[in-house]
Amino acid sequence: MSAEPVEVHIEPKQLRRRSRKAEIVAPRPPGARLPRVIRRLQRNAPTYAMQGLVDLSTRLRQMTGREVIDLNRVMEFVQFAYQQRELSRRGADYAVDEFGFDPQWTESFLGVFKVLYRDYWRVETTGIAHVPATGRGLLVSNHAGVLPWDGTMIKTAMFVEHSQPRHVRALVASLFMGMPMISWFLRRTGQTVGHPDDTRRLLERDELVLVFPEGVKGTGKPFKERYRLRRFGRGGFVATAIRAGAPIIPISVVGSEEIYPMIADLAPVARTFGLPYLPVTPFWPWLGPLGLIPLPSKWRIQFHPPVHVETYPPEAAEDRNLVMAIADEVRDTIQAGVYQNLKRRRGVFV
Amino acid sequence: MTSEALAVPRRVLITGVSNPLGAEVARRLAPQVPYLFGCDVADPVSALEDMDFVHADTRHAVIGKLVRQLRIDTVVHMAVTVDSAREDRAAHETNVIGTMNVLAGCTVPASPVTRVVVKSSQAIYGAGPTDPSFFSEDMVGSERQGSLATRDLREMESLVSEFALRNSMSRVTVLRLGYRVTAETMLAKYLSLPIVPTFTGFDPRLQLVAEEDAAEAIVRAAIGAHPGVYNVAGAGVVLLSQAIAIMGGRAAPVLFPYARWMARFGLKALTGIDLPGHVADVLAFGSVADCARLTAEFGWSPAYPTRAVMDAFARGKEAEVIEAPSPPQEYELQVYLQRRRRQEHIGHRGGKALMGRQ
Repeated sequence: MSAEPVEVHIEPKQLRRRSRKAEIVAPRPPGARLPRVIRRLQRNAPTYAMQGLVDLSTRLRQMTGREVIDLNRVMEFVQFAYQQRELSRRGADYAVDEFGFDPQWTESFLGVFKVLYRDYWRVETTGIAHVPATGRGLLVSNHAGVLPWDGTMIKTAMFVEHSQPRHVRALVASLFMGMPMISWFLRRTGQTVGHPDDTRRLLERDELVLVFPEGVKGTGKPFKERYRLRRFGRGGFVATAIRAGAPIIPISVVGSEEIYPMIADLAPVARTFGLPYLPVTPFWPWLGPLGLIPLPSKWRIQFHPPVHVETYPPEAAEDRNLVMAIADEVRDTIQAGVYQNLKRRRGVFV
Repeated sequence: MTSEALAVPRRVLITGVSNPLGAEVARRLAPQVPYLFGCDVADPVSALEDMDFVHADTRHAVIGKLVRQLRIDTVVHMAVTVDSAREDRAAHETNVIGTMNVLAGCTVPASPVTRVVVKSSQAIYGAGPTDPSFFSEDMVGSERQGSLATRDLREMESLVSEFALRNSMSRVTVLRLGYRVTAETMLAKYLSLPIVPTFTGFDPRLQLVAEEDAAEAIVRAAIGAHPGVYNVAGAGVVLLSQAIAIMGGRAAPVLFPYARWMARFGLKALTGIDLPGHVADVLAFGSVADCARLTAEFGWSPAYPTRAVMDAFARGKEAEVIEAPSPPQEYELQVYLQRRRRQEHIGHRGGKALMGRQ
C-alpha cells in the first residue's frame, strides 16, 4: 500500500447523488430552508473567520514585528465555544460523582479561568511542586476578596502550573449551598459543604481538598484590615487531616484583597437577605452589575512545604493541644508567606 | 427460646401488605417462611396463595390480638406512608399511632415476637442547605425542623428504638428506604411531566432505589437477623436535570426556591401534582444516603444503581401499560383460595407441599 495521496476526480453528477444519499442518512430538519448560498456560508463561517484572523495576525506581525494577536489564546476561546456545544449535545449521557461533580463540564470553563489567571491577574505561582501529584492532601489557604475568586485561581493554578493537573475540591460555607445559581454552580464544579464528614469522605477518595479556615470572616473583612488573617476556626481542619492521614499544604494568596476593596458593610440589609455581609466598594452598588467586575490586581500564590500530620496516629485528632498547635503553625506559615509575597510584589496593580 | 428458633422466622405478619411494595415483599417472603399473614385496611393488590389476608387497621389495637392468636414471631411493619401530601393528619395517624399500636401489640406479656422489621424512609433526614453531602444512619437530628412527614418519621423511629431498648429479646431492624420512582409515587409523577417546573437555580442530586431492591432489603432483614438502622438506596446519583432529560421532558426553572409551600401550591394548581413537603425540599437541596452500613452488615447492596433505576423508569413510561386486574376481583380470589386451603388441609401446616409453590 502506498501512502501517497491519490487524486480522486468525482463527476458532478455523482457528487449530487452522494449529497442526496447523505440527506437520507440525516433527514433534513422540518421547517423552511434557507437558500443554498446562505446555508453554505453558515456552514463555513467559522473557517472563514479563523482564516481571516490568521491572515490579520500574520500581517500585524509583519507590520509591527511582534505578536499582536496570540493565536493560541484565540484557539482557546474557539475551543471553549466548541466544548460548550459538545456539552449541550451530550444530553443526559454523562455521569456526575456522588458529590454532584461534573469534571467534563468543569474543564470546559478552564479556558476562561486560564485567561483570568494569566492575563487579568497575572498570577505568579511558586512552590506548586509541594502539592502531591497523587494521593490525598488538604490545601489550606487564606481567604479574601468579597467573592471567592482566590479558590478559582488556586484550582486553575493546579491545571496551569502542576506537572500532574488535578481537580481541587473546595469546601464552601453551607450558607452558599442554600443560594440559587451559586449552589448549582459550586456543586457542579466539584465543591461541597464544609462539613467534617464531607471532608473525610473526599480525603478518603484520595482527592485534593481546599479549605479556607477563615470562612466568611476572611472574605468579609474591611479593606483597611487587608492581609491580616482571621482566626482559623477551631482547628477542625487539622483534626480531619490527622484522622484521614492527609498532609496539610499551606497556601498564601496575595492580590485577592484588592479585587473588591470593601469600604463598608451594609450589615442590617445583609441580615434581612440572609447574607453574611453586603459590601460597599468604590464600584458596588453604584455601578450596578459593572461593580461586580473585580479589579485587575497583581496576584502571587505561594504553596508552602507540606505539614506531615499523617505521621500522627488517628487518635491524636482528639488531642486539643496538638490540634491547636498545628493550626497555629499553619496559620503562621500562611501569614508569613503573605507578608513575604507582599514585599516581593512591586505594586498593587503591576 | 433457643438461637435456632431465632434464626428462622416461622410465622410472619406483614402490615400494610396491600401497597405494591408490601405485595412484592409478601411474594418474596412466601416461599421462604412456613406461615405468612398479611393485614391492611385496603384490599390486596394481588392475590397470594400462601398468604392469609386479614382486614386490620394498625391504628386500632387489633394488631396485639392478631399477634397473640396467630403466635406471630416476626412482624414486618410496612404500614408507613411518606408519599402523601394531602392527608398529613391521616399520615400522622398511620405512621406514629399505627406504629405505636403495632409495637404495643408486640410487647404483650410473653409475646412470641422475636423480630421486628420496620419500613422507614430516607425522608427522615429531610433536606437542607446545611446538611452534609451524605446522610449516614446516625445523622438524624432531633432539634432540626422539617416537613411534617420528616417529624412523623422521627417520632416513629424514636418509638421503635425505645421498643428495641425495652425488649432486648426481639431484634429490631429499621430500614430507611430511599426515594422510589414507581407509577404511584409523587416524585415519579412529577418527573413524568412533559415540562417539569423546577426550583430556579437549583439542580439537586437525586438518589433512587429500585422497587426490587427495596423489597429484597426488607426480605433479607426479615429472614436474617440484622438489628439496627440501615439506609437502603441505590449507588450513585443523577442530577434532577439529568433525570428530566432521561424521562424526555424539559426542565422549566420557574419555581421560587424560598417558601417552598408556595411552589407546591402552584404546582398543584398547574399540574395537579401534590408534592409532599419533604420531596419539595429534596428537589431543591437533594438527599443522598450512605449505604455503607447496609453493605457491611447485610453483605448485600442494592443491585440497581440510581441511573439504572431512572433508565428503567423512563423505559417503563414508554412501554404500554397492561391494565392490572381490578383489586376487588383479586380480593375475592384471595378469600376463595384461603377458604379452599382451609377446607383441604384442616390441621395441616398450610398444605404447602400438596398445593405446590407459586
